[in-house]
Amino acid sequence: MVGIVVVSHSEPLAVAAVELAMQMVGSDPPPVEVAAGNDGGLGTDAVAVAAAIQRADAASAGTGVLVVTDLGSAVMSSELALELVEDLSGPVRLSRAPFVEGLVAAVVQASVGSSLEAVEREATSAIQAKTAQLAGETEWPATDETAQESASEAAPDADAPSDVQSIEVQIVNPEGLHARPAVLLAKAAADLAVDVSVTNLDSGAGPASADSMLELMSLGVRQGNRVRLSAQGSAARDALETLAGLIAAGLGDGTGDEGSSR
Amino acid sequence: MADVSLAQVQDWLVRAKDSVTEQRSYLTELDSAIGDADHGSNLTRGFGAVVDKLASQPAASIEALLKASGMTLVSTVGGASGPLYGTMLLRMGKAVGDADTMTATQLGEALRAGLEGVVARGKAEPGDKTMVDALGPAVEAFEKALTSGEGAATAATAAAQAAAAGRDDTEPLVARKGRASYLGERSAGHIDPGSASVTLLLEALAAALADG
Repeated sequence: MVGIVVVSHSEPLAVAAVELAMQMVGSDPPPVEVAAGNDGGLGTDAVAVAAAIQRADAASAGTGVLVVTDLGSAVMSSELALELVEDLSGPVRLSRAPFVEGLVAAVVQASVGSSLEAVEREATSAIQAKTAQLAGETEWPATDETAQESASEAAPDADAPSDVQSIEVQIVNPEGLHARPAVLLAKAAADLAVDVSVTNLDSGAGPASADSMLELMSLGVRQGNRVRLSAQGSAARDALETLAGLIAAGLGDGTGDEGSSR
Repeated sequence: MADVSLAQVQDWLVRAKDSVTEQRSYLTELDSAIGDADHGSNLTRGFGAVVDKLASQPAASIEALLKASGMTLVSTVGGASGPLYGTMLLRMGKAVGDADTMTATQLGEALRAGLEGVVARGKAEPGDKTMVDALGPAVEAFEKALTSGEGAATAATAAAQAAAAGRDDTEPLVARKGRASYLGERSAGHIDPGSASVTLLLEALAAALADG
């Protein structure tokens, strides 16, 4: 798994952020190393960051390391750390992501065995979930479901490949597709051999990649919403049924009568 | 012209520690105007740790000495000064290499490498109201003095004078990098603390070479 290095001015901040991220991934977390504080106080220490990168690199077996930073000189110290490290087995990237959102996204994406590029991309786009929540919508490639449908009806051969299959399923989770069910769905989708996209049929949001927790969350799916899962290729049908089964079973949230598990 | 010795480089850092310690309140006062009022205490702690480190683990070469000093600064100076001064000393050491003396030309190259490291790390340009506004003119003055046939000691004195002038010239500038840039126009009318501390370092260098 890709390793994550957490660079913060404050050790309590880093430890709490890591705890939050680890709650998302359960028993099989990626290697996460913390470099926080300077000489017992607030600040960042490039030597400590370099040591954390070395440890994460060793634990990540050449798959790479993503460095997630908080403010100001955390970036500078991380850049200097890249000059201090020696004999790494894999690549190291500094993430532009916001600290907490980026860390959670990176840890989740790393836990499903994604590449460093995918982990970095997921972390960088982490700000979009909050943007979408507050704006009520997000900038989807095709925002208007009606327009999308009529377009594909008008020109069925132009853009839409002919073997796309889809399945529709209703969300039972009391709080909708929030973080933890989204993680479960993303993990299950990442294990499949086909790419599955998800559209919220009630809001028109999507399509989102099923293997991205953040894209799933930004669909704004609520309890009772119907989603459409789409995929193509010979394995599509099995993949769609697998994911639809998980969604119908509540993605670990139960079916609601015992309330949310928070 | 005598070469610069390992002992003189160590003496430079000891003098730098004495100077930032003595000028601690001055640096903090500058930093309280446009920053977070910790520049004096951060550098006092950092250079104090450098001197302790060099006393307990004597370095065998100029590169080893500057590397140990840079790494110590990085681990003891919070905020941006740690990685900036750390980078400066690490790059200087790398430029000199594994030797226990260096020529004036090598010292000039080391200072140039240190400046380039600071610029690369902090991404500051001349006029951004940072330590680069003192260190840049200082490196140029050092190189110019060498071109005129001067030795390391005289060149270092010229560098210190150019740094002081650059430091004073930061006063009217509006900060475009670092924490002071959050203040925008209100950063004008104050000397940049980083330009002041790097001037102390260059004055310490001039003193170490003059007496050595």
